[in-house]
Amino acid sequence: MTGADGTERSSPIIEAVGVSKSFGAVRALSEASFGAGAGEVHGLVGENGAGKSTLIKILSGVLRPDSGEIRVEGQRVELSSPQAAQALGIRTVFQELTLLPWMTVAENLLIRREPKGFGPLLRRREMSSRAEEMLASLGIENIDPLELVANLPLDQRQIVEIVRTVTREPKILFLDEPTSSLAMREVEWLFGLLNQMRGEGRCIVFTSHRWREVESVADRITIFRDGRHVETHAEIDEDHAVTLMTGRKVETMYPELPPADDEEVALEVRNLGGGSLSDISFSLHKGEILGVGGLEGQGQRDLFLALFGAGEKSEGDILIDGKPARIRNPNDAIRAKLGIALVPEDRKSEGLLLPMSVRDNLTLPVMKLFSAGGVIRSRREMRLVQQMVERLQIRLRGSEQAVATLSGGNQQKVLVGRWLLADSRILLLYDVTRGVDVATKHDIYELMLALISEGRSILFYSSDTEEVAHLSHRVLVMREGRINAELKGSEIDAESIVTAALREEDVPA
Amino acid sequence: MSRPKLGQSVRRSRWSHFTAQNVPSLLALLILIATLVFYAVLFSTSLGRLPGNFELTSTTNNAMPLVFSAVGQTIVFLSRGIDLSVGGMMDISNSLAATRMGGSPGSMVLWSIIILLVGAAGGLINGLLVALGRLQPILVTLATLSIFQGVAIKVLPQPGGKVPTGYTDFLTNPGHPWALIFIGLLVLFWLAFRRTAFGVAIYAVGNDEESARANGIRVVRTRVGAYVVGGMFAAAAGLFLAATTTSGDATAGDSYTLTSIAAAFLGGTTIFGGRGSALGSIAGALVLSILISVLFFAGINQLYEDFYQGLFLVLAVALSALVGYFLRRKK
Amino acid sequence: MGKGFSRWEFLKGGGAALTGACALGLAGCGGGSSQGSGGGKKFRIALSNSYIGNQWRIEMVNEFKAALKMEPYKSQVEGSVYNSGNEVSKQSQQISNLISQRVDAILVDAASPTGLNGILEQAAAQNILVVSFDNTVTTTKALQVNTDQFKFGEKLASWLAGKLGGKGNVIMVTGVPGTYVDKQRNKGADSVWKKNPGIKVVNRFPGQWDSSVAQRNTASVLPSLPKIDGIWAQGGTDGVLKAFLAANRPLPPTAGEAENGFRKFMIGYQGHKVEGFSIGQPPFLSVVALELARQILRGDRPKKNVTIPFPSVTNKTVKKGVTVFPGVQDSFFDAFTDSGPNATVKMCLDAAKSGKPCGSSLKVSLPKA
Repeated sequence: MTGADGTERSSPIIEAVGVSKSFGAVRALSEASFGAGAGEVHGLVGENGAGKSTLIKILSGVLRPDSGEIRVEGQRVELSSPQAAQALGIRTVFQELTLLPWMTVAENLLIRREPKGFGPLLRRREMSSRAEEMLASLGIENIDPLELVANLPLDQRQIVEIVRTVTREPKILFLDEPTSSLAMREVEWLFGLLNQMRGEGRCIVFTSHRWREVESVADRITIFRDGRHVETHAEIDEDHAVTLMTGRKVETMYPELPPADDEEVALEVRNLGGGSLSDISFSLHKGEILGVGGLEGQGQRDLFLALFGAGEKSEGDILIDGKPARIRNPNDAIRAKLGIALVPEDRKSEGLLLPMSVRDNLTLPVMKLFSAGGVIRSRREMRLVQQMVERLQIRLRGSEQAVATLSGGNQQKVLVGRWLLADSRILLLYDVTRGVDVATKHDIYELMLALISEGRSILFYSSDTEEVAHLSHRVLVMREGRINAELKGSEIDAESIVTAALREEDVPA
Repeated sequence: MSRPKLGQSVRRSRWSHFTAQNVPSLLALLILIATLVFYAVLFSTSLGRLPGNFELTSTTNNAMPLVFSAVGQTIVFLSRGIDLSVGGMMDISNSLAATRMGGSPGSMVLWSIIILLVGAAGGLINGLLVALGRLQPILVTLATLSIFQGVAIKVLPQPGGKVPTGYTDFLTNPGHPWALIFIGLLVLFWLAFRRTAFGVAIYAVGNDEESARANGIRVVRTRVGAYVVGGMFAAAAGLFLAATTTSGDATAGDSYTLTSIAAAFLGGTTIFGGRGSALGSIAGALVLSILISVLFFAGINQLYEDFYQGLFLVLAVALSALVGYFLRRKK
Repeated sequence: MGKGFSRWEFLKGGGAALTGACALGLAGCGGGSSQGSGGGKKFRIALSNSYIGNQWRIEMVNEFKAALKMEPYKSQVEGSVYNSGNEVSKQSQQISNLISQRVDAILVDAASPTGLNGILEQAAAQNILVVSFDNTVTTTKALQVNTDQFKFGEKLASWLAGKLGGKGNVIMVTGVPGTYVDKQRNKGADSVWKKNPGIKVVNRFPGQWDSSVAQRNTASVLPSLPKIDGIWAQGGTDGVLKAFLAANRPLPPTAGEAENGFRKFMIGYQGHKVEGFSIGQPPFLSVVALELARQILRGDRPKKNVTIPFPSVTNKTVKKGVTVFPGVQDSFFDAFTDSGPNATVKMCLDAAKSGKPCGSSLKVSLPKA
């Protein structure tokens, strides 16, 4: 912990007092209070649905509270619109990015403050140099201002969003889950930036699901649960925090991994290449969780896509149950004979039909199971859906609820449930816990264990190396599209994964 | 200050970015050049001479209404809308010009301005219904298409009327390809428009309405504005139609609804908004006009003309997607 | 997910289509539309037709093609036909290409009465003879060949009035509302009714010049109508009669258009025989325009508009195999040929059906200039 003790801090620059907000019957905030001071980095933590995002939206003028008061520098204010909040020096990086995909980085950074030229005309040529300066002044040299945002990877988009907000010189800066798509180096960069802003006397409030991040940068931490303020501390350990967040004691973060002793090979990959991948060989056994580690962006994503038939054209062989398999598209992969399923991290764009119901999303690829002659037998469908909802502990009001209204973790469970209904035997879990709260993460871990106990196999990638280390029987460490090392049993821990990821020379797997 | 930095990467040149980001427009330009060459070859093999002043003039004049309506359609497309009422607005404009315009320069200028304002008013109706009424653009403009057609019939129940000769000579001079100047002006207009705050706002809204709003862009005003400008371009297209035909017909503009959409597509503008350029659409409009002559001199059975035009459109759009795909792969 | 791959698949398909299209294109290039054979300087006359989507237009174009294979056109005229999709801009572009070809005359059935004025004036300025027919154009630089639509309505009405002895209940089945032709035909009929106060028009509804529409509309009004003594129909006449049959109404004397189906009723159809008078807009207007252009180009005739009479038959003059064809579909248009001693032109069925010549020469009698 850095910074002074919270209790002696001067009066808060921004404050919410007894704020309540309901959406229909759902009470998102009840009598919640919160305060943060100038020159402070304030961590805001809690499970999904604890009301953090709602609070930030209210303090940014996006939502209006049903009751309660908001004070800025001790003065009561009405934040009737984002513009009103911005006028008071409040700027926010929301979870949903507000970048314009088919415009360049420079256009996005400078929108509404473009350099003016003759008459109503804007000076487009000057824009790129201005943007270049903005990025450079924040130490970013790997983003080309003339690139289209749509062509940037998710982490760089997040950085552009942060840069755009920060360069508007906010007095009070809110960041809602800014690190969920950032790699380790980028998180360090962001925290360096936040430290600098603290030094400039600005107030920074941010949320994160990664405890160590919050702990490392926040001066004070506020914990929310069920729409209420629980406690604010300058010093708090993880176990205590988790207990406060969930309201119950989580025995241990990671469950005990049962040994994998089945020698039968479910999936074998020989010399897979193409795209960013080269010469990848490994086998995945029945009842095994095979972790994939390494620094972010070393070809892990391409590997998962290739196995699901959604990647670049590839060379090499894939064998399922010892027999060569041709996977040309996801349809091939899903087919019962192969039974490969992918659960991606970007649930919104890659798998779920957000406006449709939980039931539809669960049963879409497996309509055949309960339709006769093209007609859906809805009673059988409902029974299967009910079983799945109970088994996965999906928290919802009813199976007709739209998936869009579920929390991220529960959306993830719906996707897993879909592949269970399809009876997929090989699950490719790609960073499924990203942006998911602690309790739901725990559910997902338990689910993974249940799946392998049924003899299914899991290929598991996570941007949280700790997670890979704790939940894998073996770990493949990737570097530049190759397998740099394979770790087994007691060799596996987060440190050895990172060490192997950084090693230059190739180690035959 | 020892803050961590995010590493260096290879920068591509401005030109390389420009090319990659304007593939569809550049492709439309290439298709235009190819079509022109093809036309010239067919023409000279068929008639034993190269196309001359008459061919250049009549082709340009004939293309003008489509060029203008396609630019208007493009602006609406960019805001993630669609304007099916283009044909109806051209009918109104064409009918008004043929019935009201007098031979004096004063009357011609006055009525041109009035007609452009009528176009703006029509666009305003579309825009308000779409942006404020939150109705589907395709539904709104389909309805206003019928309404505008009805108004046009009211203005000019029987084809007829007369456009002053001076007006024809000015907009679409039958003796000289001076209408090319208007295409040049249109290109300049577009380059400037793209550099205005309004132009940027249209692209932003077309990219993502919510993000645009979060960036402080007035979404409703921008969308309405796009329809207003689109309506004015449709009205201008109707004026050119009146000038080339020298007379009025309250149904002559109808076919431009679909051809303006086709030209915009051919130019690489997508109906999903935020991507594309009027420059591509201008090229697309010229291609579609010249294509008629290409098929003529190729001796293609006219029964299959529509078939070939449709095929051409699909191939061009597919080609654009293909080139885009390979460029992305190369990266 | 999988977007990349499916797009690739799609484009591969596109490539195949491209190859196929080229093959098709070459096949398309093979058939030129020029006709006629060598020897001497021929007049180059092009027919620019706005639309080829209905029976009338097909017969019109076929008769033009047939005429080109007969004398005097066979040796004097090199003809060609161009259709456009009823779009002004397309037809206009086609005509400008015809100007580029420096043809001697352009015959036009126009997509718009005014939309082609600009380009046709340019054609005239380049000394190309422009003759518009059927859907004529308003510019004074083009000649017009047509019929008198007022007379169409008037003649039908006069025959009916005469047949009914000047009194009785009549229904009027009109055309496409709002069109010039519809208005003129109705006016012609009304001028006759005015002179015959005993005739009562008990209903007037549009038949859209379409047999099925006319049949439907007739069927829906019939039950509310008293006894009908006569039918006046601009078009869709066979449909009107079929509606009467379906309603078990007697078939009254009928003045109608030249559908083969209507004329079949006049010679006896399913045991029913109708007293009738049938006239129609002649598809051979294209041949008349061709003859006018030929004569003017030869210097045999002044540049003046031509109006020709309608070809007509009654149940007394109608003749199997000449003006009615029991083996041909009802929708066939029998006005493709004139009949009688003062006929403008006599055409055979093959000419109208498939563009085949009817013998070696063709005689077209234009009215006195």
